[in-house]
Amino acid sequence: MERRDFLKIGAGATTVALAATAQQMITPTDTPLSSPAPTPMSLSGSSDLAQSLRLVIEPVEKEMIDGKIVYMVFYFHESGQPQPVLRYREGEPVSISVTNNDLVPHGFAITGIPQATVPEIPPGQTRQVPDFVAPVGGSYLYHDPYEPPLNRILGLHGAFIVDPALGTTVAGSATPFSRAMHTPQIAAVFDAFGRHPRFPGERWKAGDPARDKLWLFSQTDSAINARVAAGYRISGQALIDAFLPDHFHINGLSGFDTAVHDTTASVDRAAAQAIEPVGKQGQPTLLRVMNAGLCTHSAHIHGNHLFECTEADASGVPYCETNVYERDVWIMRPMDRKDMILPFERPPDVPVWPPREEPFPLKYVMHCHTEMSQTAGGGNYPQGLVTHWTMTSPIYAF
Amino acid sequence: MTMGDESISPSGIDWTKTAAQGVTNFQTFGCNVFKASLPTPDRLTPDISFVRQVTTSGNLVAPDGVRLRYWAFEDPASGIKSPYPSPLMRVREGQIVHVTLLTAKHAHTIHHHGIEPTTMHDGVGHVSFEVANQFTYQWKASSPGTFFYHCHRNTPLHFEMGMFGGLIVDPPEGPGYLYSTPMQNAPYQRYQVERLWVCDDMDARWHNVLSNNHDAGMCGENVGLNRFEPKYFLINGVFPTKTMTDQRVAAKARVGETILIRLLNASYSILRVTFQVPVTCVSCDGHRLGKESWNAPIVFPAGTPIELTSAARLDFLITATQRGAINATIEYLHWITRRVQDNGRGVAKTQIVVS
Ligand SMILES: [Cu+2]
Ligand SMILES: [Cu+2]
Repeated sequence: MERRDFLKIGAGATTVALAATAQQMITPTDTPLSSPAPTPMSLSGSSDLAQSLRLVIEPVEKEMIDGKIVYMVFYFHESGQPQPVLRYREGEPVSISVTNNDLVPHGFAITGIPQATVPEIPPGQTRQVPDFVAPVGGSYLYHDPYEPPLNRILGLHGAFIVDPALGTTVAGSATPFSRAMHTPQIAAVFDAFGRHPRFPGERWKAGDPARDKLWLFSQTDSAINARVAAGYRISGQALIDAFLPDHFHINGLSGFDTAVHDTTASVDRAAAQAIEPVGKQGQPTLLRVMNAGLCTHSAHIHGNHLFECTEADASGVPYCETNVYERDVWIMRPMDRKDMILPFERPPDVPVWPPREEPFPLKYVMHCHTEMSQTAGGGNYPQGLVTHWTMTSPIYAF
Repeated sequence: MTMGDESISPSGIDWTKTAAQGVTNFQTFGCNVFKASLPTPDRLTPDISFVRQVTTSGNLVAPDGVRLRYWAFEDPASGIKSPYPSPLMRVREGQIVHVTLLTAKHAHTIHHHGIEPTTMHDGVGHVSFEVANQFTYQWKASSPGTFFYHCHRNTPLHFEMGMFGGLIVDPPEGPGYLYSTPMQNAPYQRYQVERLWVCDDMDARWHNVLSNNHDAGMCGENVGLNRFEPKYFLINGVFPTKTMTDQRVAAKARVGETILIRLLNASYSILRVTFQVPVTCVSCDGHRLGKESWNAPIVFPAGTPIELTSAARLDFLITATQRGAINATIEYLHWITRRVQDNGRGVAKTQIVVS
């Protein structure tokens, strides 16, 4: 089996000129697909309030982990980043325009921010998303609401992240959620890091990409995508009934590509690093988990239980939990968004800590336990929705 | 000392023969994972030990007469051949636990699900190694609660084939006690009646066709492991035709007694469980609710549908307040359509008869 290292525009659906532009656009960059943007937020309009962020919709041919070439459609940032992470600070004005370079209509919407909707953008046209102000801090999902859920499944989705204007707890611990949203239980969790005897080490840190990860789940049914590329349209319940996914992704990647290995190619490294949490014991890390697909995933993590901090209400607005469960399995229904904390605590069932004989780093997988999702092309375990997290050292070295 | 020697541990483990210090590439990730039979790293004297021997000769006859093949872990000392589900492991909080895996012909692993030991004891091949012949896993039970164990090689197939069993961590007091200390937030401590409900679903194509190859699909073939169409539904190995009466599932209690239901989803469906009485969820994925200030036990009113996805565990307490039957319905839902599997037939019902 040969590995993929490219993403190319074409699909015969676009013009030669477009294809050339796109080839340029997708030249590998150092900007990881999903890493939180450094300050100032490079993918937001914050540097110049008058300037819109420009997104472009383009069909692409993307190679899957098993070498299969699949027709997909993506939002691109003008820098060439597909499925860019859009990131703003609470209260910041947001101005976004979307250009549709596909041959069929598309749209734009953000769950939980109803005003940020463009129901339809005809082929070849540009539409301005009605201006809005970034709402409460948390994780949101943008997607194409046209012919739902088809376009979302074809790849038209991405993360929209809002950093809180004031996120600290009353006791001064940083959180990724606006203080007005905090529940006593959420404050207790963030205040426990570095203070509770179970969590020696540091508190959670805002603004550190190593402590703030996006895990955006999706699935692809390559047969449906191939038919859509040939002009077939299917949506609604008929699509849900017909959907038989054969590729499963985190941030668009699968299996081997979702974490850094000895032989990971340098061009693939940044995107893998954006997914894989790496740190020392006592460095709690936020996982912004979202599901843009149609499967209900059973996300399962080894090594530590996670704290389930937020979910979204019926209108899509994130809220903090009043009962923060510690889970090794958490349900991710279609369009779910859950912010989880991986405490990076001492794995509790290790008999002697730190281990004397077994070397660091310790590596623990995260995978969907509905194991059909662990495949690519009907086999190839575990080239599906799996990654791992890495604990590089204990707090106390002996 | 040569370079190579630096990777040999005190007990003689060559870490370069595992994913710890071997070169990890696309092959070691999937199709050609490190395989070894190592001594136990950081070995201590165990407080309790188990042996689990792989067998692939299980057969189950469904109510419609179809024979379903399955695989299992046997406990050789018990003399029981091809148990389904695999035999329960029951340990106490604080114990050092050893679990020796004997693999028979092919490579396998044991992952103690929800237990959080070091990587080498966690049973995931592509970040550690798969067991070629024999290995003794070691961990220390830190949290009383409901867990399970399963094979983690070609997991879609090996887990579905039945390579799983329950794992319960009792407090030091032993069975009958949920926890050794009552807490303000979580006063529940004792129970008199207990059931572990291991819910599973089976697709005959997987059990009778894909099972011919342990490594089905692993090196590039499309064997349809993304397609799962179950027609058989079980609790503790009992088909729905018998779950109302078979005492492996159903239970009897007296008025005033407390019943503990440990629910495990070992299927690839979404389980939707409904009790006809109020239930108190006291534990979630093996962690006690109310132990810390950020959570508390939760009371579900009678009739509340409760959903669990694959591998999740919830522990429920029920108080038997009056004579009669307490009914529970478990529906197995498709992971995409959310419809009840097999055109609405994916349902198992059971009861606790209170006298
Ligand atoms: Cu598991
Ligand atoms: Cu696992």
